Formats: sequence, structure tokens, C-alpha cells
Amino acid sequence: MSRFPELLLGGIAALLLASSSVSAADVAAGEKAFGRCKACHAVGEGASNRVGPHLNELIGREAGTVDGYSYSAAMTQAGEGGLVWDEASLKDFLANPKGLVKGTKMAFAGLKKDQDLENVIAYLATFSAEAEKKADGEPKQEEPEKKAEAAPAGQAPEPTATASAASPAQEPGAGAHFKLGREATEAEVAAWDIDVRPDGLGLPEGRGTVAQGQELYDENCASCHGDFGEAIGRWPVLAGGQGTLTDERPEKTVGSYWPYLSTVYDYVRRAMPFGNARSLSDDDVYALTAYILYLNDVVDDEDFELSKDNFASIKLSNEDNFIDDDRDSEPHYARDIEPCMTDCIPGKAEIKMHAAVLDVTPENAGDDDAPAGGID
Amino acid sequence: MDDLKAAATAATRRGFLKTGLLGGAALAGSLASGRAMAEGDPVITEIQDWNRYPGDGVDARPYGQPSQFESHVVRKNVPWLTSDTISSINFTPLHELEGIITPNGLCFERHHAGIAEIDPANHRLMINGLVDKPLVFTMADLKRFPRENRVYFLECAANTGMEWRGSQLNGCQYTHGMIHCVMYTGVRLKHILEEAGVKAAGSWVLAEGADASAMTRSIPMEKALDDCMVAFAMNGEALRPEQGYPIRLVVPGWEGNMWVKWLRRLEVGDQPWQQREETSKYTDLLASGKARRFTWKMDVKSVITSPSPQVPIVHGKGRTLVSGLAWSGSGTIKRVDVSIDGGRNWHAARIDGPSLPMALHRFYYEFDWDGSEIFLQSRAIDESGFVQPTKDQLRAVRGENSIYHNNGIQTWHVNKDGGVENVEIS
Repeated sequence: MSRFPELLLGGIAALLLASSSVSAADVAAGEKAFGRCKACHAVGEGASNRVGPHLNELIGREAGTVDGYSYSAAMTQAGEGGLVWDEASLKDFLANPKGLVKGTKMAFAGLKKDQDLENVIAYLATFSAEAEKKADGEPKQEEPEKKAEAAPAGQAPEPTATASAASPAQEPGAGAHFKLGREATEAEVAAWDIDVRPDGLGLPEGRGTVAQGQELYDENCASCHGDFGEAIGRWPVLAGGQGTLTDERPEKTVGSYWPYLSTVYDYVRRAMPFGNARSLSDDDVYALTAYILYLNDVVDDEDFELSKDNFASIKLSNEDNFIDDDRDSEPHYARDIEPCMTDCIPGKAEIKMHAAVLDVTPENAGDDDAPAGGID
Repeated sequence: MDDLKAAATAATRRGFLKTGLLGGAALAGSLASGRAMAEGDPVITEIQDWNRYPGDGVDARPYGQPSQFESHVVRKNVPWLTSDTISSINFTPLHELEGIITPNGLCFERHHAGIAEIDPANHRLMINGLVDKPLVFTMADLKRFPRENRVYFLECAANTGMEWRGSQLNGCQYTHGMIHCVMYTGVRLKHILEEAGVKAAGSWVLAEGADASAMTRSIPMEKALDDCMVAFAMNGEALRPEQGYPIRLVVPGWEGNMWVKWLRRLEVGDQPWQQREETSKYTDLLASGKARRFTWKMDVKSVITSPSPQVPIVHGKGRTLVSGLAWSGSGTIKRVDVSIDGGRNWHAARIDGPSLPMALHRFYYEFDWDGSEIFLQSRAIDESGFVQPTKDQLRAVRGENSIYHNNGIQTWHVNKDGGVENVEIS
């Protein structure tokens, strides 16, 4: 989302070359490697906290201190204990987050390659005060350009038209009874109407393969959903669980529970990756949907290509196990039964289970406790 | 201010000296102290600071906040439930509230991608799909439709969902706090749909939010044309951002997930869209492996809010007031029964305040507590004749993995000291 990095880079690349061991090539490679972080972290002008805190002014920052971000207790304590982000500590952390700060809620497993680590840190350093100072006010001059670019296509196609619609209307509107509202343009409907139904209505043109999906998945999804859809922490599990729906602890995934594939396409397209919604192309979403099918053994060929044409032909195995609401037929809801008022149960009440035994009420609970039944 | 503070300190010091003269016992300042009471309660016998010195003027608090002594009355999160507060839930402090209306700042929050902050000047509501003419409304347009005021409860389908396998959380805030009840001001969805002209085949409406999760739910046309509203105000003021400012959908009596916040689009279609929130979520897995879908209505339910684990009995035996809430997605509450012996014997409670369909009802039951161990329960019966079931009755039919729609009778164990715990009993 942030376009600032590219703009800033030009301005300070020369300086970085001259003033430190960090080369411009490192920063550019770091920006690319940062792609794996972008689903959760924003950096650059106007960056705000997402799933993770924003990373502006990271170098020299005490750990766990970005305003308005809700850190794990472990990260806050690490900062209070003296952890400050510099090249060395970031390298340790990004190589193995939970190794340096046990209990951090950053789900990312870590960057394996030394070169990636150095590059990402070099890239992030360009958004910290030192680098900015050296850049000599260059970023400020970029602002007008940024603003010109800041109105994404499709948000307000006709600014003047919408502005006049908002002002007191002299002419009657387009509505049938109260003459309110105005007719939506085709471009407006197209910009917002992205829903997809099981019968394929709403699917855009496009295609993508399992192999393409895997690449996109590793970059955009694995940090929360795990390398194989097994999920990290309490993020949703995407794959596996087939045959567990009658178990004591069922695992409800796309493969084991979801009735329709269209829901995957629709949801990824509208809301994923978490923290950077609507950033994937229609082809990307086909590829990711194909990869999720592959993770769930619905398809087994890495060359399998999902497209608008073959989409509706794919059925998920649990579709027939959904039934309509029949709560009213449950015996305790039989009507006209006057509930018992006296001597309804023989004997004195005996306690079968205490909430105190589980001890998961927030004031008492440690962060890592994950008891029986959560909500999704 | 400094002068005032100095004066106040001096006054306290004078008070101290005075009580010192009267006798050491008064220093305890305790109501329970018989000797102190013999002289009189110092908060009565001594002039208090607030009785002598003026407080803040009218400009000090342009938007009023609760008393500093109520700062513990807040929404709370249960961190282990979800991965991140951006896609999470917090809980209404039911144990501290009265009447049937929830204050705006205490209404529980559930977001799927955090709170969208939307300038109403940049908000639009679109209607498209199977309509005669797709339309776009501004906020100004919406406020020109006929307006209505209605009080409704909003309950998350997962309320009490953590209790399916047994007692987990100590506090009705956590077991039952995914509910609130406010007066909505807005316009009927029916009027908005008719403005665009619903085609004959149009039998479903998809509601979509403008937030980063672009929340969507399919709603049957019959409900949409019946009592649904597009609301822009709650309890007399604009919706709070966390409740969908500038507009949200109101779907009376039905699960909270359908009350799409930051509502930006309504699409008319001829079948449901089978969105994530109505397939992978908000479907109720049964022990058989089958799952119920489109379980929209919220069932008859009640809970005793006080005493409860967060508000134990501290006055000892004697006159005791039981206060609670009851509600049903089927209409009004006809009766609430209270038991102090774990459902062996029941007593009709007193419903006080307005009894409005699909709104919270406040009930009270007063009794003389003899100081022995008791098991408090409440059982609601709605106007349709539905009786609130026990948790075991629900488990017998559904198993323990439904997550949603747990409306079973709640038991609070009160021990001899007045302490209260969430328990399951025989």
C-alpha cells in the first residue's frame, strides 16, 4: 500500500552508498524481502499499526513502545528490560522472533538467510530518523507527488459528481417513491460488487495455477496460516481436518468443513491478506484458491489451473452435510409445556464443574492459556 | 486549582484534629465500628470537601464522562480467544449495569478488521443487483427517509459459546456480555429497497460493510422487508465508530453478525451468497457431523447479573436483591423464574421497566438470604411460549461443538461468604 518507500529510495540511495556499509542494492533487495512482512506491518509516510506495529523510526526505538499498538506482555517487558531495536537486535529477532522474545505475538517464523536479514534491516533503516536526517528534507519535497498518487482508482470515480450529490439537491433524485438518491454508474457497481456465489455468478475473468498460488501463499499468507495451512497461534486453520467433524475436537477447514469453493475466492478477494485487503489481482486469487485446494488434497497436480471456466465444476466434500435450522423441533422447545415450579429435580444440587478449576478468566489468566472452547 | 487543593488539605487536617479530640475510634471512619457510630458517621458529622468547595464549571466537561469512582465499569477483552485485538471481541460489563439500555460506550465490540473510521461526507450506500434501478445514497439522502426509533437487543451468536463444554469464565461479563440493547434511530430497510424497486425474483439481500473485512451476510427478503432498519443513531446520538458509524444494519432478534456495520452496499439476488460468515462461521456443528446453517434467530435466554462472580454478596445474610436480564428473538418476555436451589424450586420474578419485543427485559427477585450456600438460576419464557432450556438439554441434542446459540440456564454458586462462582450442577 505504501508508495512512500519507492519515492524515498531515490532521494537517499546516493547518500547511503556514500555514508555507510549499506549499499543501495541491499535496500532494494530488502524492500523485496519486506514483501513477506507487508501483510502485517506498514512502513513509510502515513504508516499506521496493522496486525503488527508500524515500523517507522524503528532503529533506536525501545521495544514495545509504539503508541496505540497492543503488544504482547512479553514484548512490553522486553522493552522495559532494555531491548532497543538496532541492527544487531533486529537481526536476532527477525532470525527467530520467539527465540529472542518468548511470547511475542508476531507469528512469523523468521528469515532464514543472513543476506535477507541484512537487506530487510537496511531497508527499514531508511525509515528511521538518522537516514531521514541525512536525506536532508528530501522526503518532504516528495509529498505533493505522493498526494497526487494517493487517490486510488475506483474509490471515487467522479469526485465532482459525488460532491454535488452530497450538497442539497435541487432536482428530485432517482428513487421510485421518495425521489431520493441517484442512479449508480456501471463503474461504481463494478468497483464494489465483487461477491461470488456458489453457482459462479460474480466470478471475474482470470486463471491461476497451484504453483503460482504457492508462491503467493508463502509471501502473503503463511505468516499467519502456516506453511501448510496448519495455522500459527489462533489464526484460522485452512487445511486438513478431514474426518474430524464428529471428533471431540473437530478441525473445521476449507477441506473438512466449508461447503463451497466460491466462499474461498470471495473471501480472499474481499478481505485477504489480513491488513492489506484488496491488494491481490483476480488471477492471484484464482492461484491462491487453487493452492488451498491443493493443500486440502482436492487437487493433486501442481500444474492444475483454476479459472472462471472450471470453477463451478469443483465441489467440496462437506456440502451435503449442511442442514436447515430445525431448532424449533428440539424437545425442550415443545410449546405449551408449563415449566415445573416445585420439586423439579430430586436431591440437593451438587457441583459438577467449577469455572475456577480452569482459571481462564482474564484477570487470572496467563497470555498463553488456550482453553477448551474459543470463539472464531 | 492549587489554592483550592491547599485549602482542601487544610480542611482535612482540621477535620483530623477535630476527630482526634473527639476520640480515636472515630478515626477508623468505619460504618461497621460501633463506637464510631456512637459518635456518628464522619461523612455525616464532618463537613466534606465537596460540601464546601465548588467543583468544575460547565466548560470543564463538554462531553461528560462517568464518575471517577466508576472507572472499573469498562468493556473487557479475553486475550486467549483470538489472535489479535483487530479481529476480536470485548464484553459488556452487564454486572454493573441497570435497566434495559446499554450506555453507548459500554456496548460490546466485535470487529473483523478493526474499527473503520469513516467521514460521513465520504460514505455512500449503494443498492444493486435485482432492482429496477441501482441507486447510490449519501448520508443526507438517507436522513430524508421516514424515520423510526426502536429499542432492540443485539446478541452475538457466540455469546456464552465458551461454556459449551462446561464452566469456563467467572463473570457474567464474560459468559453473557456479547449483548447490548440500545434505542436505534434510522430508516426502514424496506423504504430503501423500494426506492430502488426490487424485481420479482429478488428473494435475498446481501449486506456489505465498508471496513477492511468488507463484512457480508445474506438476509432473506422477507426479513429485510419486515423490520430491518438502517440506523444512524443509538441512544440519541450518532452511532459510535465501533458500532458502525455512520450507518449499520439493524436485524431485530437475529444474530449480531448480520447487523453489518459501516454498511455500504445492499445487493438483491435470488439465492444466498454463502459468504464466509454464513458457511465456515455462524453455522452450528452437531454431534452427528451435520451442521445447521442460517440459524438466524436468537433464542429465549436470561442471566442473573447480580449477584454474579464479579459482584459477590458483601452485605451478609438478610435482604438480598437478585437482578437480571432476559431476552428473546421471538418477541417479548412473558415471565422469568428465579431459583435459589439450583432449579429444584422456582419463583416468578418481577419484570420491571418497559417490555418491548426483541429488547432486553430487566427482572428482580428479592429474598431473605439465610447465609447458607445457594445456587442461583434464572429461566425465561417468551411470548411465543419458548422456555429457556438447561445447558444439558442443549448438549443432549446438539453435542458440545456448536459454538453458537448457547442459551442454556446459567448457574451461579453463592458460598457462605457471599462469594459467587460459575458452576455446572447435577
